Amino acid sequence: MLPFLILLPFSAAILLAVLRFSDKSLVRWVSLLASVATLLLSLVLVDQYRALPAAKSAGPVKPRLEWQHAWLTYQIPPADSPEMREVSCEFYLGVDGISVLLIVLTALLTVSCVLVSWSSISERVTEFHACLLVLEAGLIGVFCAFDLLLFYVFFEFTLIPLFLLIGIWGGTRRRYAAGKFFIYTLAGSVVTLVGVVAFVLHLSTVANLGRPFSIPVVAFALSQDPLPVSLQWGLFLAVSAGFMIKVPLFPFHTWLPLAHVEAPTAGSVLLAGVLLKLGSYGFLRICLPFFPNACVSVGVPLVAVLSLIGIIYGALCALSQTDIKKLVAYSSVSHLGFCMLGMFALNPEGITGSVMQMINHGLSTGALFLIVGMLYERYHTRELRDLGGLMARVPLLGWTMVFVCLSSMGLPGLNGFVGEFLALIGMFKAHPVYAAIGASGVVLGAWYLLRMLEIGFFGPLREPAGSGDQHHPIRDMNLRELLALAPILVLCVAIGVYPKPILKMIEPDVQGVAKLYERSPTSWDQATAGTESEVEFSKVAMRGVHSVEEPASKQNRTPSIAVQVEPAMRQATVEVGQ
Amino acid sequence: MSEAARNIANSLNIILPEAVLVATACVHFLFGPFLVTDTGRATARVRHRWGGLALAALVTAGWFWLSTTPLATEPAGPFRLDALTWFVRGVSIAAGVVLVLINWNQYDDAFAAEGHALLLLIVSGVNLAAAANDLVGLFLALELVSIPTYVLLYLPRRDAAAQEATIKYFLLSIFSSAILLYGFSLLYGIAGTTNLTALYKALWNAPAAFPPVLVVAVVTIVAGLSFRVTAVPFHFYAPDVFQGAPTSGAALLSFVPKIVGFVGLLRILWSPGVKDALPEPPIWTLASEGLPLLWILAVATMFLGNLMALVQTNIKRLLAYSSIAHAGYMLVGLTVGRQRNAAADGIEALLFYLAVYGAMTVGVFAALIFLSRPGRSVESIDDLAGLSRRRPVVALLLAIFLFSLTGLPPTAGFLGKLNLFLAAWSRGTIDSYWLAGLMGVNAAIGAWYYLRIVAVMYLQPEPAGTHESEGTEWPALVGMVLCVIATVGLFVSPEWLWNVIERVSA
Repeated sequence: MLPFLILLPFSAAILLAVLRFSDKSLVRWVSLLASVATLLLSLVLVDQYRALPAAKSAGPVKPRLEWQHAWLTYQIPPADSPEMREVSCEFYLGVDGISVLLIVLTALLTVSCVLVSWSSISERVTEFHACLLVLEAGLIGVFCAFDLLLFYVFFEFTLIPLFLLIGIWGGTRRRYAAGKFFIYTLAGSVVTLVGVVAFVLHLSTVANLGRPFSIPVVAFALSQDPLPVSLQWGLFLAVSAGFMIKVPLFPFHTWLPLAHVEAPTAGSVLLAGVLLKLGSYGFLRICLPFFPNACVSVGVPLVAVLSLIGIIYGALCALSQTDIKKLVAYSSVSHLGFCMLGMFALNPEGITGSVMQMINHGLSTGALFLIVGMLYERYHTRELRDLGGLMARVPLLGWTMVFVCLSSMGLPGLNGFVGEFLALIGMFKAHPVYAAIGASGVVLGAWYLLRMLEIGFFGPLREPAGSGDQHHPIRDMNLRELLALAPILVLCVAIGVYPKPILKMIEPDVQGVAKLYERSPTSWDQATAGTESEVEFSKVAMRGVHSVEEPASKQNRTPSIAVQVEPAMRQATVEVGQ
Repeated sequence: MSEAARNIANSLNIILPEAVLVATACVHFLFGPFLVTDTGRATARVRHRWGGLALAALVTAGWFWLSTTPLATEPAGPFRLDALTWFVRGVSIAAGVVLVLINWNQYDDAFAAEGHALLLLIVSGVNLAAAANDLVGLFLALELVSIPTYVLLYLPRRDAAAQEATIKYFLLSIFSSAILLYGFSLLYGIAGTTNLTALYKALWNAPAAFPPVLVVAVVTIVAGLSFRVTAVPFHFYAPDVFQGAPTSGAALLSFVPKIVGFVGLLRILWSPGVKDALPEPPIWTLASEGLPLLWILAVATMFLGNLMALVQTNIKRLLAYSSIAHAGYMLVGLTVGRQRNAAADGIEALLFYLAVYGAMTVGVFAALIFLSRPGRSVESIDDLAGLSRRRPVVALLLAIFLFSLTGLPPTAGFLGKLNLFLAAWSRGTIDSYWLAGLMGVNAAIGAWYYLRIVAVMYLQPEPAGTHESEGTEWPALVGMVLCVIATVGLFVSPEWLWNVIERVSA
């Protein structure tokens, strides 16, 4: 199942590249067909995943529907005994609740990308759609990878198609933007690679772990027997360097507005919608389970403060933009700040909020970029100075924009609220001051989005000269564009009104990670090992057992997160409603 | 059958691959001249026949090579056929096939016989160097590679630039051989033997401390072989020679001297294979005397290669500096060397990188040869502008090679760099941590200039008025496809190659 999910868009891209249809619309149809098929397959995946019984394997990371294949096995001649040890990295795919959702998000946004590029991309159509599908395959691959090396491979691989998407079909400064994006993120990932190598070598030689590349096995082993604190610090900083740039956190965000503005619409949608999540997903998948002490002692002050700065700074930058696309790009910096702030609350509410924020930001900002792209296609400008009162000209597009903006600014009842609210609640529990500062970002978010709506869509009609007359008629949204947006809008409402199915889906996985952080605050200075029986247990796991049955007594120890979160949410909804 | 005859038959069995290559080369040399008239003209298209014959010889040699197995016994004689030899034989025969393909149309019909024969000799020279267990044998093998190389640099295109490149390479090569011989003679003076096995035994059992001259011997040997692998400060010839020589010659230079040089360095410095008489760890080898030197060489070579490549506009000069940078990466593996209790030791990582590097760099040159027009080869990076529209498949293949040289997945170049990282980091000393870190810095720098070529191919519009016929070298395209299969295939299933390599240092 999972390999097919990756191979389907990839082979469709190869097919396009090899067959090279001369008919452009045929290319588009093939691409649409492939992306819709991938979406359907991902929905089947959701269905399969929900039908599974509760995960039995122990440890903070619990992949399901696993698929493994040998890749490269290193023989280690040990210093003392003649017996060889083996350390292997594998093609190890799997999904948990979080990654299933992100896969569906990727597949959904890709369909929208294909639809929105239907008429706006007329140059080198074959290459464009091949790039798009390859990018989709790479993104799905990241979310499926449960081998450290494989994760890194997909993480890096996504750079290549996106580089081409920005560089070939981008705006006027596309070459500079593509180069800066590529080099910037590559430099970060190299540091991550060094960190991963050091981490794996430590595990394989010092901790004697049999499968140091397998994320679930490592996460389980480390939850029983954490690394020394000083080592955790160094590894956390090295490994998270690539993720910080990808998210992007405040001082490393400079590539983002440039890349967003220059990218074609489809590129921006996938960049904002999914690619930025690779950073936060990496934090969640690797840093949080592996380096708990460092996350508490370095991560919270560093990442939380940087994301606070990002929230405020991104919002202020967005406030002063006149280019709508740039405004949306800076709003991404701000929104991803909430995501990281919630994650580093390090409690179930915060992490749930963070995951929700990943999905919601993907939907809302994806939709915003789609609409901005549609506007640009009509007016060939995105300047607020040139545009105004568009509601009179394109009412359907305008109201969609209003709706998406409301969802993005976190109006209760729409999806954005769920994520931001949970993230702030979580942070409030852990560090009330951070949460209070972060909450001001919500106000700023409403401010810049409403300002944009006010200037651009309400008030007197203002259009670039020449557009709107008989020669350049401005038409409202057509069916194709509506189809690109409709599923996103429906999901925005659905998640906002009834987030429970999604919360339930990610709950076990969030709990697994959050359980690591349930200790009393004073105990973080020392790496504390688990209880006697758990240590015994971990030795079994470390010897390369694929999945370990958890003792029955340990199941269902923690209360359901949906139960914890729901009353608080309902209460807050009522308060805001009044 | 008499005893002697059986012995000869047995030995022939062992050297069958090289015997086939040398015999075919003799056939070329012997019969080639008869197909050329007095005025130096040959039957049209006779080069296809010679190329086909050379290819057949290589395939046969490869077939025989597959049926041999590494011999485990500790040799006392001048040659040995251990796992390292087996590995290098395979790589060089595979490289030979690709080199024959990309040289296919580079020679005039009149010189095709000699050209292909020289290539076969170079391949057998590489194999001989890998098998050498004696300083004299090693030197002979190195010359067997060098001397045909001088001719090959000049043969395809006989103009002033090629002449200058050839002379430059010739003089410096002779010079480096002299330095190497000097080092060998010092080593002989200390140990009293030229046989590597006996030499190591003598050194390990030496009653007293080594004379200081041993360090001089190691330094001169490293210096002599540094020329072959284009390590700083013996790299100066590379950009000039790459630029002046015909592209096929540059392809040869980018890979063959490196594999010979590194195998020679491995044999002398780390002596893989001489282990029956090994004292218990810590293992002392000649490399221990030269470690600081190797460290400095590795770092300087990486940085100089990458930084100079940043400012190049001529693609062959850029590739020359890129090959210098990659020599630096491989020197990292040599510096780390052999170690116990490590996932990948330096020698394994180096050998894996060598194979991968061969595929990706020869692939780039194959692409350049495929794209060259009659009388005009691809010179500056801008010649590739808009390639993705003119020749999408070639552009894609070339991009794969360049991404592999960068070290990006999904290509074998990524695994090669990863192994070097693993090796350097698992050595666990401060200087090897630095080595790994500096290598990471260099990998990031290197990304810039490879990416620039990709950007020119994909992002830069096609210059007006370049619709001449290009891309007619079909054998080069076949070579390119073979290289791409190796580059991507070694990423997807590296296991079989890695198993071969692990036997080398096991």
